[in-house]
Amino acid sequence: MRLLTYIALLAVIPALLTAARTHETNPMSSQEDFEEGRRLYRINCGVCHGMEGKTGRGARLARRTYRHGNSDAALFDLIEAGVPGTDMPGLWLDEDDIWRILLFVRTFAEKASEVCNASGDVAAGKRVFDSQGSCLACHTVGPRGGRLGPDMSFAGVQYTDQQLRDALLEPSREVTDRYETVRLVTAEGERVEGVVMNENSYNIFVMDRSENIRSFRKAELQSLDLPEESLMPAYGDLLSKADLDNLIAYLCSLQGRDEEVAQ
Amino acid sequence: MDVFLRRMLLSALLCAAGAAGEVTYQDLLDDPEVAADWLNYHGGYAGHRHSLLDEVNRSNVKSLRLQWAFQERIAEKFEVTPLVHDGIMYITVPPGDVYALDAETGARLWRYSRRMPAKLIACCGLVNRGLAILGDRLFMATLDAYTIALDRKTGRLLWETELIDYSLGYSGTHAPLVVKDMVMVGTAGGEYGIRGFIDAFDVETGERRWRFYTVPGPGEFGNDTWSGDSWKTGGASVWITPSYDPELNLVYWGVGNPGPDWNGDVRLGDNLFSDSVVALDADTGKRKWHFQFTPHDVHDWDATQVMVLIDREYRGVERKLLVTANRNGFIYMLDRETGEFLKATQFVKQTWAVGISEEGRPIRRPGMEPSAEGIEVFPAVAGGTNWMSPAYSPDTGLLYVSCREGSSMYYKGETEYRPGTRYWGSMFVNETTMDKWYGAVRAFHPITAEKVWEHKLFQPVWAGLLSTAGGLVFAGGTGGFFKALDSESGEELWRINLGASILASPMTFEVNGRQLVAVASGGGMFVFTLP
Ligand code: HEC
Ligand code: HEC
Repeated sequence: MRLLTYIALLAVIPALLTAARTHETNPMSSQEDFEEGRRLYRINCGVCHGMEGKTGRGARLARRTYRHGNSDAALFDLIEAGVPGTDMPGLWLDEDDIWRILLFVRTFAEKASEVCNASGDVAAGKRVFDSQGSCLACHTVGPRGGRLGPDMSFAGVQYTDQQLRDALLEPSREVTDRYETVRLVTAEGERVEGVVMNENSYNIFVMDRSENIRSFRKAELQSLDLPEESLMPAYGDLLSKADLDNLIAYLCSLQGRDEEVAQ
Repeated sequence: MDVFLRRMLLSALLCAAGAAGEVTYQDLLDDPEVAADWLNYHGGYAGHRHSLLDEVNRSNVKSLRLQWAFQERIAEKFEVTPLVHDGIMYITVPPGDVYALDAETGARLWRYSRRMPAKLIACCGLVNRGLAILGDRLFMATLDAYTIALDRKTGRLLWETELIDYSLGYSGTHAPLVVKDMVMVGTAGGEYGIRGFIDAFDVETGERRWRFYTVPGPGEFGNDTWSGDSWKTGGASVWITPSYDPELNLVYWGVGNPGPDWNGDVRLGDNLFSDSVVALDADTGKRKWHFQFTPHDVHDWDATQVMVLIDREYRGVERKLLVTANRNGFIYMLDRETGEFLKATQFVKQTWAVGISEEGRPIRRPGMEPSAEGIEVFPAVAGGTNWMSPAYSPDTGLLYVSCREGSSMYYKGETEYRPGTRYWGSMFVNETTMDKWYGAVRAFHPITAEKVWEHKLFQPVWAGLLSTAGGLVFAGGTGGFFKALDSESGEELWRINLGASILASPMTFEVNGRQLVAVASGGGMFVFTLP
């Protein structure tokens, strides 16, 4: 292996960051500790992880297992040292306060298992998803499906049943940035519809309806339209109430594997 | 509703038919003849890092200018060689990210970010050298010792298969190799008392097809080249992409140093297959032959250099050859069908061997092993060259090598194995020898090993080389200079200071009829073209 002289230095850095942790499991448990944990979380973490651990620019914390380790000790060390090379900072608080924050963070997981609830027929819902509703043409579940819309493999962990219902009835109410709809006409008169993958002053990058990734010079287009509507059709008139209920039950059942749950 | 459904089904069909742009195995075999793309770490199975693109050439290279740059907050060494396909560039960004960039403008199309354990174990930085591609999938070996597959259009994770528990010191750092419907990955970690291996996985499912241990177990050929139980912690890591001969169906893997690095007393014997090239049958992972460059190595001279496959006449007979400039200071030539040793020639200053025997074994100079008081030996611990790519031009018939001149002080000491911690058997010191170090790009006639030209560099090199049909060799320096040399004379034709060390090998590709040249430097990817 290539061995540079600064290796020795690299070895020292983690040692400096590791705090004096005197417990293996969380010694905090009282209601006051919990309230103090919530307060400290609001100050130090909420901006990136959201007060329910579900939003913001940090990782999703409302989940049952964590990528970086699940034990109290592992989470303590992570919160204390941060994740080098990412936005996740280290924290200069004393040991008790970090345990208090963790006490609060642990409650996200409990809520995570309650968010998606529906009473429909899962098997019937899968049929709607795969064929009748054509959801599979635009969404993946596991290895199958289309790429125009977001992956649904973890829908049951990522969305509440109410969010799913809203997405199906009014997909255009809130269109995720990454899936902005675009309709354009090229200089040659070709009409292209799809979702925007990126855009700057000069170029726009589109995944078209056939999932080709294409780049266009904006100045050369006949027209460029970014309608504030989703590429996904509204399903209120297209599916019966029972179909919708079954579909939502199916989506709630999609839990993926915990360690893969994307943010 | 009917109309709607019909439209939906139609679009579903379109998706299913949307195989356009998929990389086929034939494309991989044709690379680098399909000169527009760059589909394999080496730009082709033969390990030549030579492109047929010639728009940028000796007469116009002086006007080469920056087309775009990509920058990230990269605290680690940025060692990637990009892949380019269908106008999209795919790169890994350390420690665990993958980006798809529009190859013409550098705009980001997607990013995959791997959540990794907080304590990763890698001797020499949290690095990654790149990806492999097949169909609509990209493959990556990760620092937490997984092989993963991503959807090349969205970056979505399709499967991940654990190689082994990373906390024992294993990691993945090299760009995988795709052969047929398999993706192959070897494990790094030679400084941590691992037992190295190479795995092949099904590209669709991630299921393991075969495993080859680079340290043979009891009853297997070569196990008796390790004293006692030393094979269990023998190292022999793999951290550079192998070459492949489709006709012979053999994959040529360069294997790393034995562990512990600088104290061989606990592992008496030749220590196979450390510091060797092993030729494995691609379908079964069975060893066809092996050749060991440095038996019982005590200087950390991994054989993880690129194996360059060339077909040329040797002593009047057209032969399938394997040529490699080894870290121990010699260029070797082998018959790649049989593993027969043909020739070895010194290419940098070395003081550890009197020569190489007829059979290819080094004849050691006595007293050059590491000792408690320390001993100065050439080449330095990083070797006469290292993992950075050489290049071979079929036009000039020359082999180009990034060379490192200098020595280290090698010490021998105590050694104790503890899982996941360094298993070195002492250390080396460069401080006292470093001011005499220098680097060079050298061109060799691969058959005679005669040095044809040399381009000196102020410091030893960590950057690889790219040869092109435009009569150029692109090279990079530790000081940050990226340059184009005349492939026949070594004359410098163009240079630019990129402001940070170049620790990667350059590549080239074509988008919309224009040739571009790319190289990583510091925390950036820099892409050049003609005005
Ligand atoms: C500036 C933004 C930011 C702040 C502030 C922040 N985080 Fe993070 N956090 C991140 C990011 C980004 C990641 C993902 C790191 C990665 O890619 O591995 C992360 C990861 C984590 C993880 C690991 C998740 C996993 O799956 O392993 C935990 C736990 C966590 N943060 C808790 C906290 C807590 C508790 C605080 C407050 C003390 C906090 N974070 C403050 C951005 C932030
Ligand atoms: C023509 C392609 C297309 C079809 C068909 C389609 N979707 Fe979508 N879907 C999208 C796109 C694009 C988005 C992202 C834009 C948005 O938020 O509306 C989306 C968003 C969603 C979301 C919300 C995701 C989020 O993060 O906000 C859900 C849930 C969803 N779709 C479910 C479905 C289901 C269930 C079906 C079948 C009944 C379906 N989709 C059919 C394209 C499609």
